[in-house]
Amino acid sequence: MTDDSGVLSIDFIVGFTIFLIAFIWVLSMIPGLLIGLQAYTIDYDAVAYRTGVMLVEDPGEQVVAYPYYPWQSYGDLEKEKVIRFGLAVSRDTPNILSQDKVNRFFCVTISDPDAGFGYPKDYKDRLIFGDYRFNISLLDKGQTLSAGDVLPVNMSYGNIRRIVKIKSNSNATIDYPYMANHSYIDNVDNVSTHVFSIHINNSKLLGEVIDPAYQIDPSREQMTINITDLEQLQPGVTVNLTAIKICTIVKNPPSATCSPLTSNNSYPYVDGSDTRIPMPATVNENISLRFDTQYFNDRISAGAGDIFIVIKFDLSESRPQFLNNTQVLPDFNNMDAETTFFNPRTGIANPNSTPFDYNYHPDNVTQPLLRDAILEVAVW
Amino acid sequence: MVKNDGGQLYTIEGFAAALIMIITAYLVVNATSVYTAGDTHINDMQLEALGSDALRVMDIPVSKDEHSMLQTIIEDNDIGVNNLTFGTTFSSLINNQTESGRDHIQFTTNVSYYNITKGSVDSYLLNYTRNLRGGEHSVRATKWVIVNKELPGDGVTGPLNRAVLVEVLLWRD
Repeated sequence: MTDDSGVLSIDFIVGFTIFLIAFIWVLSMIPGLLIGLQAYTIDYDAVAYRTGVMLVEDPGEQVVAYPYYPWQSYGDLEKEKVIRFGLAVSRDTPNILSQDKVNRFFCVTISDPDAGFGYPKDYKDRLIFGDYRFNISLLDKGQTLSAGDVLPVNMSYGNIRRIVKIKSNSNATIDYPYMANHSYIDNVDNVSTHVFSIHINNSKLLGEVIDPAYQIDPSREQMTINITDLEQLQPGVTVNLTAIKICTIVKNPPSATCSPLTSNNSYPYVDGSDTRIPMPATVNENISLRFDTQYFNDRISAGAGDIFIVIKFDLSESRPQFLNNTQVLPDFNNMDAETTFFNPRTGIANPNSTPFDYNYHPDNVTQPLLRDAILEVAVW
Repeated sequence: MVKNDGGQLYTIEGFAAALIMIITAYLVVNATSVYTAGDTHINDMQLEALGSDALRVMDIPVSKDEHSMLQTIIEDNDIGVNNLTFGTTFSSLINNQTESGRDHIQFTTNVSYYNITKGSVDSYLLNYTRNLRGGEHSVRATKWVIVNKELPGDGVTGPLNRAVLVEVLLWRD
């Protein structure tokens, strides 16, 4: 047969098959070639990792100023003084977060700029450092705190999970049994004014425990003092919390001063109220004192090694055996810290004043404890 | 002799075209493949950070007057006995997530110490979830822990303050 134009050659089929196999194999390699160009998930993972490190291992940063205030102590109207977020207690305590910093960090708002840190700008400027969307969540005591956007469902994102401990703040509860055991209600003078004082020995607090993970530092972490069971002391008598004074003792050079508590951020909570109450205030059952760390910071920066919180109660009737542990000299309005508590020149303390000592004794104060928590950062 | 020999040319062309394409692809792949550490190791890094965090957190005492949980576990654990407290705690730490659901991370933990008598390093198993299977890729997280414990080969009677190395291999199901 001389005309073979309609015949498909076996050689052609073999050659074309080889070509097709090679062609398909090469085509299958193309997606792999593009992997290097799809680097966004890698970038997101890196940003998430960096953010996680800053949160867990860095204490954060604030403007350089004197006295030194930690960033979490700045209120919403001063938040521009916060330069960088970081939740660690200190640089020396990675993975240990401060309760105050956690509370402040997750105080987030999307509408009112004066009601917390604004999402997303405040967080991008102080933590993310880029135009990314993010979600930061913390699982603590079975509850999840969150800042940022909702996690995306149909797209990938970079993430990092860190395991941390949270340092709880110290607190003290002075209840009826404690008052009775410490002779705080044994006074026999039939008077209408009673004065109770609390001693914050800052030098001892910072010297006795130096590890920041367990240290009680009034200038950095809020301490809470609850005075409860007041209605049991003198039933039927109206109790007024008339005033609070703060006395400070500086040993070098020796000086002692007392001044009224005028800081709105340090007013007491009364009878379980959610807001701070100005004085005078009627008290039925309990008082909760939670001082602004900046308030203590100012005094400690001025050299105060000892701080006394002096609380004046006025009863509607003269009664003995109310909360009273302070011999106020010469009187409350003109109170002299040297004669009432301690004379830094002579080193002599007034034995008739026995203030409640806020210290590391577990009978007096619930010590800072560390608990487990999980922190996750997602970036996309 | 075959009159129509065009088929031979087809085969040669096929081979030549295939060869050219493959060589070209090989050159292109080698020329454009940018090796990014995060590309292949990002999951390893995340897992390693998680393991290191868990060991670190377990070695932090809850309060100033206590020993860390990790120290207590090693001190109280008889050598070679699978320690369930470590397993439960460590597994809970590395698998818990802030959202609902749990991760699926497996691990095996060894403790290494210096045998003073033998002059070499000995190790024993502390806890494991399951054995590492062929093909599974693990990462390592370690933590030096100071313990007050008598270990084999110490040559003394009673506990001794010393450092031991806790080593965890982690991998995902």
